[in-house]
Order: sequence, then C-alpha cells, then structure tokens
Amino acid sequence: MVENTSKVKRNANDAKTNAEAERSISAKSKKIYPREVHGLFAALRTAGVASLLGFFYIVPWLQWDGRQALLFDLPERKFYIFNMVFWPQDFIYLTLLLIIAALGLFFITALAGRVWCGYACPQTVWTETFLWIERKIEGSRAQQMKLDKAPNSFRKIRIKFSKHFLWITFSIFTGVTFVGYFSPLRELAINFLTFEIAPSETFWIFFYALATYGNAGWLREQVCLYMCPYARFQSVMFDQDTMTVAFDETRGLPKGPRKKTVDKSDAGLGDCIDCTICVQVCPTGIDIRDGLQYQCIGCAACIDACDDVMDKMGYDRGLIRYTTEKILLGGHTEIMRPRMVVFGLVLLATIAGAFYSIVTRIPVGIDVIRDRNSLYRETNEGLIENVYIIKLLNMDKQDHTYTLTAEGIPDLILKMDVTDISVKSGEVVELPVRVQVDAYNLKQRSNEISFTLNTVGFEKLTATEEARFLGPAFR
Amino acid sequence: MDDIPLIQRVIAIIWPSFITGGIATVLFTVAFDPAEIFIDYDISRLGIYTICFFLFWILGAITATATVYFLKPGETINR
Repeated sequence: MVENTSKVKRNANDAKTNAEAERSISAKSKKIYPREVHGLFAALRTAGVASLLGFFYIVPWLQWDGRQALLFDLPERKFYIFNMVFWPQDFIYLTLLLIIAALGLFFITALAGRVWCGYACPQTVWTETFLWIERKIEGSRAQQMKLDKAPNSFRKIRIKFSKHFLWITFSIFTGVTFVGYFSPLRELAINFLTFEIAPSETFWIFFYALATYGNAGWLREQVCLYMCPYARFQSVMFDQDTMTVAFDETRGLPKGPRKKTVDKSDAGLGDCIDCTICVQVCPTGIDIRDGLQYQCIGCAACIDACDDVMDKMGYDRGLIRYTTEKILLGGHTEIMRPRMVVFGLVLLATIAGAFYSIVTRIPVGIDVIRDRNSLYRETNEGLIENVYIIKLLNMDKQDHTYTLTAEGIPDLILKMDVTDISVKSGEVVELPVRVQVDAYNLKQRSNEISFTLNTVGFEKLTATEEARFLGPAFR
Repeated sequence: MDDIPLIQRVIAIIWPSFITGGIATVLFTVAFDPAEIFIDYDISRLGIYTICFFLFWILGAITATATVYFLKPGETINR
C-alpha cells in the first residue's frame, strides 16, 4: 500500500512536469512507449498471442452436426459445445468451470508467477496486437515519441489516421467475432456486411469493438494497474519459492555506465550498466531493478532486453531472470512444497468431479410451477385440487416419450389432458396437470408432493421435482 | 483522495459495476426466463438481456459513485 501511494505520487509529479500527459486520457500518468524486444520470451509471447487469437477468430467458424460447434445461444437459452448441449439448468457446470479456472490460476501463479498476465491474458494479447500495428505504422519507439512531439502536419495526421483506421477495423472485426459466439457467425457476418443486422446485435458488436479499441489502444497498462483485481492480490499467492522476473542485486549493483574495455571490478561496478533498456521495453513502465512490484505483469521483456545487453558487454546472461526469492538469497527452491501439493490436489479433484458429473449427466429435466391464480379449489366430487404447470425438458440428442407420476399424499390422483407425453430432442413442453386428493388425507395446510418423470424404454433417464400441495386450513 | 488519478476513480465506478451487472444479469436470467416476464412486449430475448444488463450496470454504478463520493476524507469537506 505504501508502495502504491508513493507510485501514485510519483505519477502525479511526473504529470506536472510533463505537458504531454495532460493530453493523455489518464491525465496523470505518462504515455508509455514500449520498445520492441526480441528473444526467447518475446518469441513465446508471440506464439501465445498468435495461437490464442487464432483460436478466438477461427473457432466460431467451425461447424458440428450442421450447427456452429461452439455457440452460446442466449435467445434459445442453450449452450452448444461440440457434441454437448447445456441448458440453464446446467448452470452448476459453469460455476464449476469458473472454480477450476480460478484454482488453475492460483496453482500456476504460486508455481511460476504471473505467466498468465505476460502471455495469455486477453488484455496482453490484444495490446500486443495493437502495439504491432502501431509499430508497423508509426515505426520504432524513438520514431513514435518524435511523431507525438512534432507539431501537426499532413504527414502526422495521415499516419495517425492510418493507425486508428486499422485499429478500429480490427476492433470491429473482433466485435463481430465476439458476438458470433452468441449468434451464429455465418449468418451474422453476412447480415453485417449487408447492413441487415438486429439492433441488439449491432449494439454489442460496437460495444465490444469500443472496449477492444479503448483497452488495447488507449488504456493498455492502466487496465492492469486499475482494473485488474488479480494483480492486487499477487502477494497472497506468491511465496519465496515462486518464480518471478527479478533483478539480481548482488550481481548487478552498484550500477553505472562504463566502457566495454573497462574491467568492472577495477571500476568498483556490478554488472548493471544502467542503460535503462529494461525500463524502455517494459509495457507497464516500471523499473524491475526496484524489486517485485504489483505493476509487473511477468512478461519478461526486460529479461530478453537485458540478456541482449549482457551479450554485447560480454557478461553472463541472467542479470534479470526468472528466479525465486530464495535463490536470490542464496538458498534453493522446492517445487513440491505443501502449497503446491494442496493447490494441485484440490484442482485435480475439482476437474475429476466436474468431468464425472458431466459424463453422468441425466439429459432430462423437470420443472414444476404452481398455478399462481388459486391456492386450491374443491371439485364437484368434493376433492381438493391444485393446478401445476409441468415443464419437461428433453436435453437428450434423441426424441423421447415420458410418463409422469406424482406421490406424497395417500390416494393422490394425477389428471392431465394428454396421455402421450412425447418431447422432441432439445425441446421443452409445458404440461398443465391437476392433482386431486381427499381432504381427509391432508395432514396440514401445505403438503409436500413430488413429481417423477420416467422415460419409456430408458430406465435410467428419470428426474424428480418437489412441489407444494395446498389445502384448507384445519383446526 | 486527490492523489488518486481521475482515471482510477472513473474505473472504480464503471468497472466493478460492469462486472456485477454481468453477474446479476446471468443470475437473474438463469432463475427467470425474461421472455415470460416481458411476455406482453414485442422484444427479443437478446434485447431483454441487454436492457437487464444495463439496468444492473447503472444500479451498480450509482452505488459505486456514492462509495467514491463518500470516500472523501471528512476533514477536507466544507473548507
């Protein structure tokens, strides 16, 4: 917290001296121009960005059984995931999926730090793409800074216009793809190109496009600093054995510039030549030499940059490297520590549980809604009658015929207008039913009954739902 | 309070309420089929989801705005 406030104050001071920042959307923090970097981790990140974006843009075009393979059909309230169909009743699986994702994130973070942030987070992935476009149009870091400082000219406007045009086009493409996960993309793309799109879809396309353009083009590291909750509790997940991007102080300090020919021990210097390239490449604009900071997204751009400099100086690589606090303090790091074992076991158990429950899922559902208009009525025969609407869901991939029974009160009579309950695959049928009992058999005002649905020819396909049967008050 | 950048304060209002608005919309529409509630109106489910989401978002943003407003330290008020 102390670090946060001092950082904020530093930002505020910077802003006072930097007129440029006043024009920036953030008003109090300077625009960061990350310098381009090459190396092992940069290559890994490019691979991550390319595969994740490829996945995102290609998957909604895949077909399965004559429909979109991955489709979250909100209007129809069905989620299609390859050969599986999920219903609102399967909400528990979404919850399980989120728990697995959270546990997985905790596990990987305790083990290897914020690798999620550096390689896989959508914010990183789209920002990298936007930075790439920016570099193609505006040139290197120095050229970008020069261009921004230069007065308005035809050239500057042309370059800026091209950049934003490409950014916006890419954002809209992203928006269409995103909505394509919720509304069949093949139709959507055609409708979009022929301007025949539904209003709510149009709205979400442009909303998502705006979010992409704003987050990846303008906000960038501020999303990580101010919007990301994960960054703020990193210290809860880290321990001394967690791999992080770190500057080796014992090796690097005292820092200072020197000629390549000068012997560093004669000059009383460490390996850090204070070239500040590690700061220039940092997408969040921090100095890794200040130690672990919540702003560090673990992208390792500084490692690649520093290794380059070390090579040029003829020093060993790894002045900035992936390492653990324990190793930096001269100890050694244990991977199989209690925290990792517990996280790992809980994660495995949750995955196994989710998998088991999905595999053994019973693809039939029943929902009972009491008729809201009357509590109960007395029939001509003197019986007490309650009316219900039974909703039957056939979540199976084939059509089925069902039988419905009710129990819970002696001599209960179930009456319905149809005899044959057939539900097509993936359909919902609403069935009004009446339940009649002799008032003599009612022990209290509100009684518990249950409806059971059985599938003809499939003994295991059965579902039960509880309901209340209301009668007159006694005593 | 004035040390907190404007962008951080704006984000503190619109961002958490966006998340809770999304969660509230999911929970609400899983529990109740909006097409049944708005049966008298000629509006698509996606349209209802959109409206639901914005109502929840606005509600959350109002709460967050009040929180940010009341966060101002007492000694700086009415000076």
